[in-house]
Amino acid sequence: MSKAAVIEAGPLRRFWLKWRFHLNILLLLIPLGLMPKYLHEASMSRGEIGLGERELGELQAGQWSVKIAERFDEAPRSDGPAGYFKQFNIALCDTCTKVKAVYLRVGKPRSLRAAGALFSGNPYRMTGIVNIPLKTSPDADLWLTFEDWDGSLQQVSIPLAKASPATVAWLKQQGGKS
Amino acid sequence: MMSTARRLLLPLLLLSAAGPALAHNPMCECKPVDGGQIECTGGFSDGSGAPGVTLDVIGYNEEILVPGKLGENSKLTFKRPEGEFYVLFDAGPGHVVEIDYADIEQ
Repeated sequence: MSKAAVIEAGPLRRFWLKWRFHLNILLLLIPLGLMPKYLHEASMSRGEIGLGERELGELQAGQWSVKIAERFDEAPRSDGPAGYFKQFNIALCDTCTKVKAVYLRVGKPRSLRAAGALFSGNPYRMTGIVNIPLKTSPDADLWLTFEDWDGSLQQVSIPLAKASPATVAWLKQQGGKS
Repeated sequence: MMSTARRLLLPLLLLSAAGPALAHNPMCECKPVDGGQIECTGGFSDGSGAPGVTLDVIGYNEEILVPGKLGENSKLTFKRPEGEFYVLFDAGPGHVVEIDYADIEQ
């Protein structure tokens, strides 16, 4: 008689030995539950359902314009000691061939060097990650700067309250901390 | 049982080591030090330092008052200029941090 056959198992142990195999099903159910969120994110990244979660329409500055969208309709995300950041996506206009760079920041830039986040990516879908200082006033504006290859600049602003209501609500919660 | 636990341990450790992809946003902090001086420290949010990166002190009239570069320890110390100014940590286009003089304690 083999040794294993003489070991007596309690009822709980027997139940566990018999059913533990079925825990595998859980491993299939967990990713299935997360699948809709994943597919939504994937189609957003591919540009199939727009530029971002909140489309803000068109911003015109001189002869140029961009379509702009808030990537996530939510409060700014923390990047540790570097502060809080919001992601915006833009699509350049068809006539924007002479645009060298596009920048975005909170408040009017003092100079081109301080024009804020630089958009990167292909012209149909560029990404910029903008720093939102904690003490930003809820009635602040976002300033978009176009730089031409000849060095000239075009600027346009949009109220933060319009660009990202979630950010303004978050700023009001922070209560002007520095 | 023990060997199963050991077999699971390595993959689990590897999984926990794979953190999310981190951005590296620029950061800069300025504080007053003895002798009416200001010490600014630059770096990036992934924890890397910024030795040799440009840090300029610029007046409100856009005149560069102190053209500087961070030292080996990612710090730069300079005398606090008179009047209104701002500190610009400039790690390249789009990678800047601006600090207004009003945000640097006296």
